Amino acid sequence: MRWVGYGTIVYFILMQVYLVFLSLLSGAALRRNHHLRRFGRIGEMLSSRTSPPVSIVIPAYNEKAGIVDAVRSMSIVRYPRFEIVVCNDGSSDDTLDALISAFNLEKVRIPYRPDLECAQVRAIYRGRSGVDITVIDKENGGRADALNAGINAARYPYVFCTDADVVLDPDCLVHSMQRVVEDRDRTVGVGGNVRPLNGSRVELGHLIEASVPRPLIPRMQILEYLRTFLASRPGWSWMNALPLVSGAFGIWKKSVVVEVGGFAQGHMGEDMDLTMRIHRHLLETKVPYRIVYEPSAVIWTEVPDSARVLRRQRIRWHRGLMTAIRDFLPMTFNPRYKQLGMLTWGGFFLFEYIAPIIEFIGWFVVPIAWMLGALDTTALIWMFLIAFGMGLMNSFIALMLDESYGYFNSPADTSRLIVMAVIENFGLRQLTVLWRIRAIVGGKGTRSWGNMERRGVANLAGGPSSQQ
Amino acid sequence: MRMFTNQLVPMALLVIFFIDALLLAGLVVLKSLHRRHMRSHDVRRHEYLGLLSRHISFENYHEPITETMAEDQAFLDALIDMRNAITGDEVSTLRRIVNHHGVIERQMRYLDSSILLSRRLRAAVALAELGDEISAGTLMRHLDDREPEIRIQSARGLGRIQWTPAIDQIVSRFSDEIPWVRVRFSDTLIGYGTKATWPLLAYIRINHRFDSKGPALALRTLAQIQDDQAVGPLLEVLDETTDLEIQIATVDALSELGSSEALPAVESLLDSEQWELRSKSASALGKLGDPSAIPRLMTVMRDENWWVRRSAAAAVARLPEGIEALYRSLDDEDPFAADAAAEALADAGELVTARERAEEIGVENEPLLAHMGSDVQT
Amino acid sequence: MASGALLCHDRHSVQLPFSPVSDKKRILVADDSETIRALLQTALESAGYEVDIAKDGLSAYELGSNGEYDLIILDQLMPGLLGLDVITRWHEEGLQAPVLMLTGVDDDRTAVESFDRGAVDYVRKPFRITELMARIRMRL
Repeated sequence: MRWVGYGTIVYFILMQVYLVFLSLLSGAALRRNHHLRRFGRIGEMLSSRTSPPVSIVIPAYNEKAGIVDAVRSMSIVRYPRFEIVVCNDGSSDDTLDALISAFNLEKVRIPYRPDLECAQVRAIYRGRSGVDITVIDKENGGRADALNAGINAARYPYVFCTDADVVLDPDCLVHSMQRVVEDRDRTVGVGGNVRPLNGSRVELGHLIEASVPRPLIPRMQILEYLRTFLASRPGWSWMNALPLVSGAFGIWKKSVVVEVGGFAQGHMGEDMDLTMRIHRHLLETKVPYRIVYEPSAVIWTEVPDSARVLRRQRIRWHRGLMTAIRDFLPMTFNPRYKQLGMLTWGGFFLFEYIAPIIEFIGWFVVPIAWMLGALDTTALIWMFLIAFGMGLMNSFIALMLDESYGYFNSPADTSRLIVMAVIENFGLRQLTVLWRIRAIVGGKGTRSWGNMERRGVANLAGGPSSQQ
Repeated sequence: MRMFTNQLVPMALLVIFFIDALLLAGLVVLKSLHRRHMRSHDVRRHEYLGLLSRHISFENYHEPITETMAEDQAFLDALIDMRNAITGDEVSTLRRIVNHHGVIERQMRYLDSSILLSRRLRAAVALAELGDEISAGTLMRHLDDREPEIRIQSARGLGRIQWTPAIDQIVSRFSDEIPWVRVRFSDTLIGYGTKATWPLLAYIRINHRFDSKGPALALRTLAQIQDDQAVGPLLEVLDETTDLEIQIATVDALSELGSSEALPAVESLLDSEQWELRSKSASALGKLGDPSAIPRLMTVMRDENWWVRRSAAAAVARLPEGIEALYRSLDDEDPFAADAAAEALADAGELVTARERAEEIGVENEPLLAHMGSDVQT
Repeated sequence: MASGALLCHDRHSVQLPFSPVSDKKRILVADDSETIRALLQTALESAGYEVDIAKDGLSAYELGSNGEYDLIILDQLMPGLLGLDVITRWHEEGLQAPVLMLTGVDDDRTAVESFDRGAVDYVRKPFRITELMARIRMRL
């Protein structure tokens, strides 16, 4: 009893130590291009001859309201050569018509190679003016299916998979493709930074000013996203052990995606699944490669602002994680898979997958053990405080790392985030744990491709310290 | 256990919270500094844009530019932006301002001796955008800078002022440079146009025996420069070299230059033992545009290697009367050749027609028909 | 610098003659680049025109539709609505004001298509301000 009681808290302290180590690694990784960020004139680093062309692939289901604006804002992204491929996944609303009339689309017959399996394609349209846009109309098949169809029709060697309701930073392609250009032979994938849009001012599909929202639910997510995107991923990327390239911002070399069979259908975490499959394939075939993460390549997306929607999303994410853990179990702590297997995936297994279970157990065991006198009160208090302090450290490190990006410029923003770092331990965090337990226990994850759920597993490494 | 909790743990706790406090303080301080800097930077830049616009629009304009302004990073940004927005005579007005206030000299100093990497980078870009002959010497020196982006900007700057002595320097660095910088150097050389032809050829002649990446890039650069004078020397290189990558790059360059002089040499490579070279030669024949190559290419469509067959068929599709020839080969007895023809027809956008023709001819080969695209019909 | 198209004034002594508002030509400048806006506004105002500014496609469209402009200078790549989209709408609505498109250096397609929709001229960026002013004077 006693050891279980102490054990759970020690587990969380260890988890925090792992996260701090990861943050320091990430901090070091971020320093590398720090001067380029400060410098700011990224446009001068462009050259139309040397910038590889990119196909932006957007799956769309019932997006009539925002699809035209989304495509328009994507069309003025700053990059020499790119095309936009929208895949209408059998929408039941007027998504297709809205696109056809807004962009003067014409049905065309072009060679369409079904390199990747997907549902029946009904027609292909091309734009006649202004924007280089192709629209694929097909039977409904889900997000992964729509992405595959889009990738099939993509003309360029690199595909940028994203969603229809995101706001792109105009330089996101420059920043991310710069990582490709640095090492063209080896780079097969680049992940970008996803930032919550909530609370920020957006006009005409462009971000004007980034701010931290007051409501707790979205605010908590801002902190979570900062922790993972700034304090975890750069570290993993540096070790070429990035387990997840977000579904909202994933640039892939098209040929590699085709080689592994594209996105998996019906999977709750198709982005993580694809990333891991590509890693596995290239490690097993011993092809030199790298999948990197570029924090300066930014995309903004709306995150759930109510507990109800957030719950669905987190359940979905955790189920995706569970599937991935199961699928890639042989890689866990397997030296054959190098840093990915040993460090990242091992870490995921230990601190992502098992964490909610241990915490949940702890909720019951610790109070009971204490009441039975098996746990020393002072020791308990010390340990809680250590866990709490380290959790704060993780959050503060993430906030420091974010500083050089120039967002959240008002004092209100900074103070709100600092406050959140403290108070999330008192209830919010526990809520996410409860949802993850629900995901493990319950059999019915939602399957509909609703607005918030379809982003797949944008995995968040750990969370703030436990408060049991 | 008791000792452990009584001494070590409180220490650890103290350390942890101390670090937390430090981080917090650092965060607050950095944020407010950064915020103030950014805001005033934007405001000043806006004012400078107005100021420079007035200087450009009015002749003999006397609104003063102070020393403080000239040293301001925001002013530099405004200068660079303005330089990018205009062309022609007005650039000389900007240049006068720049010269009068020692902007170039200051940036040269920063590039040479500032410890802040971001400042050096900005100086390199400024010199690339605004520089003139005065800065050439500095830029030449920084072709060897430790920071890759600065090397790129130095080359770029030299290219913009068309500083010819730099050409040899840039070309000679092809062999030792890292790949992505090398590519940007190549870009700069393309900007020099035909002035870079002979230095590139000289480099290739000397180095193709020892190195393949550098000369290959040099060849690709020549392909873009489109100088006919290079055809002869390139044919010589093709004759001498045995390196596959260089052969491929040379054939490619020759096809881009489009001279029929290259036809015999390229055609003879269709017999090479290396499939990459056969394939590249086939494509080259397509680009060179001479229909007399069609019969030869049709034979190549029976090559054992799939990619070679495909390239040959694609090349035929590009040539005059090639499409007709491909239709005829749809009922070639060699199924692979027919296959390649079908794929090339599909790629050439002959989707519907090809399929109908195939069905007319009575082709029942399902895989063949499948090549002509999936059923994208309503 | 050739100054044919521009007035030569010492800034501090400039005194435009009093002119009733109806005599001044009105120009709308629509571009999302601060630099271009600053440059055009200064140059045009120095030449005696009255200048309005739009920073994105949507406001360009609104201002252009409602205001009575003698000339509109329209950039292609703007947030909200692309230049071509704006000019298409104006064309459909029968807007009379002459439109001059600003296009990027590699963007010939926009130029050609804008002519189909009623543009009277186009200028590539980067441009010569004197040339631009000359073309403007020709239109007004």
